[in-house]
Amino acid sequence: MSGKLTLGEHMSQRGVSRRAFMKYCSYLASTMALSPAMAPAMAQGLAAARRQAVIWLSFQECTGCTESLTRSYSPTLEDLIFDFISLDYHHTLQAVSGFAAEEAREASMEENKGKYIVIVDGSVPTRDGGVYSMIAGRTNLDILAETIENAFAVVAVGTCAAFGGLPYAKPNPTGAVPISDLVGSKPLINIPGCPPVPEAMTGTLAHILAFGELPALDDKHRPLAFFGESIHDRCYRRPFYERGLFAKSFDDEGARKGYCLYEVGCKGPIAYNTCATTKWNGGVSFPIQSGHGCFACGSPNFWDQGGFYKSLPSKTTSIGKMAAAAAVTGAALGAGAAFVASNSKKQAAKET
Amino acid sequence: MSNLIDRRSTTDMAPYTTGLANAVLREISELLDRLVTTGEAGSIDLHSLPMTDGDREQLKEKLGTGEVSVKLDVAGSSTLDETGIAGVWWVRHEGGDGRLAAEIIEITHVPAILLSHRDDMIAGLNRLDELLDAPADMDTEDMTG
Repeated sequence: MSGKLTLGEHMSQRGVSRRAFMKYCSYLASTMALSPAMAPAMAQGLAAARRQAVIWLSFQECTGCTESLTRSYSPTLEDLIFDFISLDYHHTLQAVSGFAAEEAREASMEENKGKYIVIVDGSVPTRDGGVYSMIAGRTNLDILAETIENAFAVVAVGTCAAFGGLPYAKPNPTGAVPISDLVGSKPLINIPGCPPVPEAMTGTLAHILAFGELPALDDKHRPLAFFGESIHDRCYRRPFYERGLFAKSFDDEGARKGYCLYEVGCKGPIAYNTCATTKWNGGVSFPIQSGHGCFACGSPNFWDQGGFYKSLPSKTTSIGKMAAAAAVTGAALGAGAAFVASNSKKQAAKET
Repeated sequence: MSNLIDRRSTTDMAPYTTGLANAVLREISELLDRLVTTGEAGSIDLHSLPMTDGDREQLKEKLGTGEVSVKLDVAGSSTLDETGIAGVWWVRHEGGDGRLAAEIIEITHVPAILLSHRDDMIAGLNRLDELLDAPADMDTEDMTG
């Protein structure tokens, strides 16, 4: 954490009251599926914390993750996170360039030794000594190793950083690898997505600030709060799936009626992400609500899954029958959904 | 074009109920009983529940409207309405653009966010001291002079 003032003191000087902390933490608790009763304690923890030094490294990436983080926000409430962190290095957002930029990174590393967080977007090329992506004359491999050495934790944002993403897709000409291959035993959080949901990024950072520790993660290092349930579990079209009502092609009668998109390639059942609840563009919509199946863009190897419009291998008819049988035995929709929700976090650990 | 219009009208699922409103009512009842008997407050995050618009309307209708309605202007707007059941508050927090950020049923005497925080009161006290230490303004001097 950097800075002498606590966040409470810092924000108080700017005329921001503790009610704003309370409200932010209510929002955060809701986003992270924590009990609303935790909001006051979170607000207290956040107000007592100091600004978190963050160094953001961009490697083999398209800057979509940064766009997601900075452009999808309304002012005030959600923007508070930007007052809580000190973004000391970020290619796209920093004002300085060249040697001054690298000096800012080195100064933050020295000043916040053992306390700063390194956010990485993009995968790292390893073939031919890593020459396929260089910054300031140095390979991504080199810069990453140097920067994470004294970091508190590493956060890999976006599917490229978390699982290799597009650079990692076949035939992977640059020998790209995910960040998890290069951090050793350093604490790592993966926030995948192409791009990731902004609330998943800011919520994870706020959690670290409020509680002083990493959030609960699944076996792929993803925060359970945002990746503990599948898109399918939370999809508003799920009732159609349960009843065996599917769109057979785009713009057929089923599609027009808003039926489940499973048979036109929706990967919702294997996609663990928060799009169906948090949604995009200020909560307006998400791909399925706009009539297109989920790509599972936050899953490993999503680009090489055999086609975005190819249905998952399971027989949907049998699933429909199973659902019908469950209904006959008295599993009401609400109870069924609750059962799915309670078990999905356990299932996340088994996801392949 | 007509297909697009058709899709919109049919994809936006008409308000239907799933029975979840009754389940939430039951939980509210248990939490209110706990508040009355032990003084312990509780809350339910509506955002985390797979409620349909119909469920939400049904729950609102059953809880009714109470005597207190408060609007906060803190990092966007917030409304805190006591429902027709005393001690049961419907709390909505919005972001700066009016988008719903959190929706919570609080079962408590008064939602905690309404209470002034000690640190804010200390800051207010400091401001009051500064005001009292400042030289008297011209109008006051005229009156005393």
